[in-house]
Amino acid sequence: MRRYALQRLALAAPVLLGVLLIGFLLMQVVPTDPATVRAGPQATAEVVAAIRTELGLDEPIWTQFFLYLSRLAQGDLGVSIINSVPVTQELGATIGPTLELMFAALIWSIPLGILLGTLAAYWRGSWFDRITMAVSVAGVSLPVFFLGLVLIWIVGFQYQLLPFTGRGGPLWTMDGFLAVILPAVTLGGVFVGPVARMTRTAVVDSLTADHVRTARAKGLSEFRVVLRHALRNALIPVVTLIGLQIGFLLGGAVVTETIFSWPGVGRLAVGAILSADFPMAQGTIIVLSAGFIVINLTVDLLYAVLDPRVRLS
Amino acid sequence: MSRPGTLRMLTRDVGAALSFGFVALVVLAAILAPWIAPRDPYATDLLAIMQPPGGDYLWGTDGQGRDILSRCIFGLQVTLFMGLVSLIAGGVIGAAVGFAAAFYRRLDGVLMRLMDILLSFPAILFGLALAAIFGPGLTSVIIALSIATVPLMARIVRGAALVVMGQDYIEAARATGMSDARLVWRHVAPNCLSPIFVFSTLRLGQVILLGSALSFLGLGAQAPVAELGAMAAQGRNFLFIAPHISVIPSLAIFAVVLAFNVLGDALRDALDPRLRI
Repeated sequence: MRRYALQRLALAAPVLLGVLLIGFLLMQVVPTDPATVRAGPQATAEVVAAIRTELGLDEPIWTQFFLYLSRLAQGDLGVSIINSVPVTQELGATIGPTLELMFAALIWSIPLGILLGTLAAYWRGSWFDRITMAVSVAGVSLPVFFLGLVLIWIVGFQYQLLPFTGRGGPLWTMDGFLAVILPAVTLGGVFVGPVARMTRTAVVDSLTADHVRTARAKGLSEFRVVLRHALRNALIPVVTLIGLQIGFLLGGAVVTETIFSWPGVGRLAVGAILSADFPMAQGTIIVLSAGFIVINLTVDLLYAVLDPRVRLS
Repeated sequence: MSRPGTLRMLTRDVGAALSFGFVALVVLAAILAPWIAPRDPYATDLLAIMQPPGGDYLWGTDGQGRDILSRCIFGLQVTLFMGLVSLIAGGVIGAAVGFAAAFYRRLDGVLMRLMDILLSFPAILFGLALAAIFGPGLTSVIIALSIATVPLMARIVRGAALVVMGQDYIEAARATGMSDARLVWRHVAPNCLSPIFVFSTLRLGQVILLGSALSFLGLGAQAPVAELGAMAAQGRNFLFIAPHISVIPSLAIFAVVLAFNVLGDALRDALDPRLRI
């Protein structure tokens, strides 16, 4: 297990370096001078020149890359062109809400998807199976913003049942909980379908396996057969597929945050790109990319824990 | 496709037949947009802003009094163009990588690791990065979606090509002294068409969904271009007074993507019941 984990880590490191290199190159091609940005609008030419030397912008490009890496290691990603706030400060404030939103979306959509998929597999061919699968295909085809806008319009505006702009506070407070409901339903709503489909496929495979027949032959209750013997084995591919789909979910989070004015990294990234705030855009893209690398690494390791064949092969 | 009976299987499945008909209709509408759109999609009528659907304007008008039906028809053109171009660009590169990996086993490890890396980032992130570098616009979106399609197509093609390459007739063709390029082109590729076709149909739906999401965020098609995602975004400002401005283009995207997904699923069942993407 330890060897497998180290191997995975060794693979992730160059990818992270690649992301950082692309992030660095991004700042080389955009038409902004980081020194002018840091100095602020009222700075004299001397001040800008001093900052240029301090940042190492006169050095060769490879030296600059290493300087950039060392600044990064110290948590310095530059300052926003728009409001001169350090990029890391803004990022620190937005990562929490994004994770919160994703958590709130996953906490209901994964169990529901697994439940629907298992039942559809158990009663395969029935009307329940057909309706569930039809709704799943519809869910996969639904634009996230459509679901969000309809929820805002009907639940938020027409019936005024729930708030629909911004974050109300931490999740455990009443305001925070109410504010996260609509965004979480929107984001999780497009996730239920894929999870249900994947679970159904895996459970159908597993229900026809020999060990399930044996379990039935032993006289175990149907509930036990499905839950302990069929679903449990089916969960391994499902966990992997869910992990791979988290990327899809973060993509949805960018849209969801924008619609609901949720103060997360996705909304920050879109705002920064639209206002040509390059340092901020670079920072958000690096953080989002690093997030994916971590998610993929975690899924790989989790997979190895669940299925010994992976780490031994 | 090559196998007889595929078309018959498709027509027996009601959902598939309906989606095939709908896709054909949508493609036709997009191509014929200038002739069938009832009005100029860019003409504003300030005396008839935010008209609800049903009156003089069949699908109503938007915040600037532009005909939503005409904008949707022209929007289909932009949306389908964006989807097709990125599917073809990413698909061709991906297929080349997939064939190379299956054919030259020494390259396989390196190529597929590279594809895994690309695969670990979602399309939206490529969209954000490219919009940051080149500025928001349709070109950035198309490049981003192409990049995101490459590893998926590479995996499908590699898998299919490996199965084909294990067949005796490939060995026989090789024994006749056929060149690698000719072998792939004449014998391997034609036998990989089914999974490529199924994947392309399903992917087109996904690409349209992703592209319209990027346009919705303002990173894709720019105003005043009639693009379905961008139209939905413009309607956001009037959501509480005239929800149809957002809802109609969103429904159009939903219908098109759903049709491609249902069609793709049916094609998969018809062409190869064992295939799972």
